[in-house]
Amino acid sequence: MITPEISWLAILPELGLALGAAAVLLVEVQWKPRAQVLGMVVAGALTIALAFTVVQWIRAQDAVAGAGQLGDLVAFSRMILMDGFAVFGRFALLVTTAIGITAGWRLIEGLGRRRAEALALILLASAGFSIMVSANNLVMVFLGLEVGSIALYVLAGMTRSSSTSDEAALKYFLLGSFASAIFIYGVALIYAGTGQFEILAIRSFFSAFIVTSPGVILIGIALMIVGLGFKVSAAPFHAWAPDVYQGAPAGFVGYMAAVAKIAGFAAIARILITGLGDLEVNWLPVVAGISALSMVGGSLLALVQADIRRMLAYSSVATAGFVMTGVVGGATSGVLFYVAVYALQLVGSFAVVAAVSGPANSASSMDEYQGLATRSPGLAAGFTILLLGMAGLPLTSGFVAKFGVFSDAWSAGYQWLVIVAVLASVLAFAVYLRVVVNMYMSDAEGPTLEVPDTARWVLMIAAAATIIWGILPGSLLDLASSAFPL
Amino acid sequence: MTELVWLVIALPLAGAGFLHFAGKYLREPLAGWLASAAIGGSFVVAAVAAVPFIQGGEHGTAVSLWDWMPAIGASMEILWDPLSALMALVVTGVGSLIHIFAIGYMHGDERFHRFFTYLNLFAASMLTLVLAGNYAMLFLGWELVGLCSYLLIGFWFTRPTAAAAAKKAFIVNRIGDLGLMVGLMLVFTTFGTLSYTGIFERAGDELTSGLATAIGLLFLVGAAGKSAQVPLYVWLPDAMEGPTPVSALIHAATMVTAGVYLVARSASIFELSTVAQVTVATVGAATAIWAASIALAQRDIKRVLAYSTVSQLGYMFLAVGATAYVAGIFHLMTHAFFKALLFLGAGSVIHAMNDEQDMYKMGGLLKKMPVTAVTMGIATLAIAGIPPLAGFWSKDEILGSAFERGGWFSVLWIVGLVTALLTAFYMTRQWVLVFLGQPRWDEGIEPHESPRVMTAPLVILAVLSVFGGLINTPLRLTLEHFLEPAFELVKLQHPPEGVGMFILLAGLSVLAGLAGAAAAYLAYNRSSDEWRGFEGGFEPLWGAWEKAYGVDDIYGRVIVAPGKRAAEAAAFQFDIPIIDGAVNGLGRVFRDLGEWARPIQTGYVRNYGALFLAGTIVVVIWLVAGGA
Repeated sequence: MITPEISWLAILPELGLALGAAAVLLVEVQWKPRAQVLGMVVAGALTIALAFTVVQWIRAQDAVAGAGQLGDLVAFSRMILMDGFAVFGRFALLVTTAIGITAGWRLIEGLGRRRAEALALILLASAGFSIMVSANNLVMVFLGLEVGSIALYVLAGMTRSSSTSDEAALKYFLLGSFASAIFIYGVALIYAGTGQFEILAIRSFFSAFIVTSPGVILIGIALMIVGLGFKVSAAPFHAWAPDVYQGAPAGFVGYMAAVAKIAGFAAIARILITGLGDLEVNWLPVVAGISALSMVGGSLLALVQADIRRMLAYSSVATAGFVMTGVVGGATSGVLFYVAVYALQLVGSFAVVAAVSGPANSASSMDEYQGLATRSPGLAAGFTILLLGMAGLPLTSGFVAKFGVFSDAWSAGYQWLVIVAVLASVLAFAVYLRVVVNMYMSDAEGPTLEVPDTARWVLMIAAAATIIWGILPGSLLDLASSAFPL
Repeated sequence: MTELVWLVIALPLAGAGFLHFAGKYLREPLAGWLASAAIGGSFVVAAVAAVPFIQGGEHGTAVSLWDWMPAIGASMEILWDPLSALMALVVTGVGSLIHIFAIGYMHGDERFHRFFTYLNLFAASMLTLVLAGNYAMLFLGWELVGLCSYLLIGFWFTRPTAAAAAKKAFIVNRIGDLGLMVGLMLVFTTFGTLSYTGIFERAGDELTSGLATAIGLLFLVGAAGKSAQVPLYVWLPDAMEGPTPVSALIHAATMVTAGVYLVARSASIFELSTVAQVTVATVGAATAIWAASIALAQRDIKRVLAYSTVSQLGYMFLAVGATAYVAGIFHLMTHAFFKALLFLGAGSVIHAMNDEQDMYKMGGLLKKMPVTAVTMGIATLAIAGIPPLAGFWSKDEILGSAFERGGWFSVLWIVGLVTALLTAFYMTRQWVLVFLGQPRWDEGIEPHESPRVMTAPLVILAVLSVFGGLINTPLRLTLEHFLEPAFELVKLQHPPEGVGMFILLAGLSVLAGLAGAAAAYLAYNRSSDEWRGFEGGFEPLWGAWEKAYGVDDIYGRVIVAPGKRAAEAAAFQFDIPIIDGAVNGLGRVFRDLGEWARPIQTGYVRNYGALFLAGTIVVVIWLVAGGA
């Protein structure tokens, strides 16, 4: 009898998150404690998950340096990977989760006895997406995607009192299911064409064989691109984003958008660049097209929004396009760096939105930001830094991120895409500057704003990260560049 | 001390940061004094760090702060050489005086502390520009000063004209920035780095003259945008909508000279292309006479000074185009003194006249505000080129250098000489209209001399305008020796040698200055009917000058298409002007595009599903068809 060797380390972070979710629910049922106690449980689960992630990182670096077996990084019956890419993605997810919960803390507190559900859902969503970034098997990618997405659908409708929130949740769910179905169909077609579910095995398949009539495989690739493109809200699969960003409770939107982007792009990069790299002549033009459409369309539509959350939604469509230039350039580390940096800025921005228009509110008109610099200079300054970071101004992390993916796409021969990207960046600059001008160059309406301490902390961390990694990008760039996939 | 030179940038930056957060808790004058202390401290640091250059023989040192993006040679590094030291001293020195003046000028403004936050932020940005050790950092400063200028022109954003002026400055500067950006890309692809030291030492070996011409002309586009040269000068007169200290600091003494600095800093590149040199000089001379003629007929006290600034910047371009870099920088410095003084004096007058800016409604202010009148009189003589005031020495060195270079430059020399005559005329006209003659004030205005906090900077600047030129006279070339290490890689153009030639050339330009001044005095020191008749005698030329040749109209008609003008008119009535300030004319086209795409977002899931499906089909067909 053969006992399969099970490397528990590979799934310990996810296990920690899932058990944490269960613990939160049990503690709530048994003791009905104050919110702070639940917060401690969650913090414990996140700390454990982070600790194991660090262990995984060290092992991955050792293995690459020759101190261990590279094969050990493919674990759990070849389902899960512990390579630098997966671990970096996990790490970014966990940090985003921690900050996202802090940003939404006022909302969570306000949920009353249902706060444990919200916390459990957040932990489960992160566990699912964490599996998605580290999966070696397309079915595992799908499982992670579904675990994460379903939790997000529920989170979008968490404030049951508001009908817009319900509407957002339902829309997200319907269209999301549509996308998931398309993705899994694509996986099935890939299996039909190659007989493989494993990403690494698919890579070997294509380096060993030349497929003379790849029709089925190409349709499979197209469907997978569509399914994942939906998750990262790339145009033209973005239609849900503005409605959901606007309708879902402000306290959660930043987190929801950020983790979906991290996981989605990790999966795109892994599947396309690692698994299907030999077929890139086929998918590169399509991805470049989606990228260009997202950048230009997203920036254009962001320009005309009167609601700041819809503006952020469209700008995240544009950002999806910018990150995709990195996919076109074959730069896995550039993609990861960009999404990691952007995730923080997104969570921070929605912390501001939640502070200005109330955490459970839907809709945040641009007018509410008039004269914010007078009503709350700290909030305005922090938000300005984040906006300039998203715009990619030099000396912010956004500039370093953009520069990285653009130069990769340039050297990959996609000069036209880089030119489009630079022009779209100029356009996007106008989008963000509009908010800054609104905050600084108009008269204040309304009284001084009370900002919750948690939001202050989140904003401070996000703004500091934006500036520090903009001025001294070396540390994070080194980290990201050693986070390559197997 | 050189290692601490980063403090020059850090002090005003810290001032801006502190004022942003704590400003509203500070009582009024305190915020202003703090900002002044920040930039004053910066001046002290710069002065101390510049001592080795004054003692002579010292070369520039690069002070590396940290690696930013080493891949493109873009470290955060400061190049502390005589040129950047001089620029830093001018920016912080004149800047400090203007900060102090603004304490009095902005008295009572609701957003007093915000104004000083922006001023300090501007100073930090400008210092980043001039102290940069590579083009990447220069570009960063270049963009930041543009942003600050935009914020400060539109400071009184409730005035629609101020918002429109801010917008105009922003757009025109974008055009210039595009040129600079493309130029920098060329530099980077040629040298593989953006670092000054790497580029200038290798320029002679690795740059073909064609490439040098291309880079030089692209840099000129950038410089013309920032320094308001023909044909991109149109934003500067409108920029006078900003508070007067802003006009003095940004739109006279410092930011607008960035283009001159860029050319001087890139001397090693311009050295390789005569075409680029001649183009720079020609653009400069053309701007000088063009703007001077417009200044003749302006009625608004600040617009005269604005066109005068454009014209004087033209002189500086003429100088650096003729490779007389020292002369150009010298004039930059003296101009900073007397033009800042003129603007602050104008601010003092406007302040006293309850925001009246029309010179036809002034007159007879000499007795009411003697300090302002005398100091502005000194500045007027200085800019008119009357010896031994500052403007005489620097302008004469420029004209002498152009004369000595000969050929086409002789033509430019004559243009410069005529401009000197016009300059003396319109400046004297201004002084006479404002300070002499009978009062023509509106009812209820009681002019008074400004408070000490405003007059003290005027007096200091007046002293500098008198003696500032003495640091570089043909008898004693102190500035030349000071700047020499910064230009040792290039050949400098000098005025002709010999006492006879000097007296001849100087005599000619003094004669031009005196003639202009005398003509203006005789024409305007009379009753208003008489000088109105004098002006009428020049019709239709006078009308053309007064309307600035209608260039704005032509730009509006030719460049801004009729349809967009309709949108513009609608926007000014319906849209909040300040939002449009950010979303400029070009942006509006994109906005319309965005609006057109908006109906897709219906809110119905079935429509989203249909869009999704359509997208999926396109992707599938594209991929499969592409693979076949």
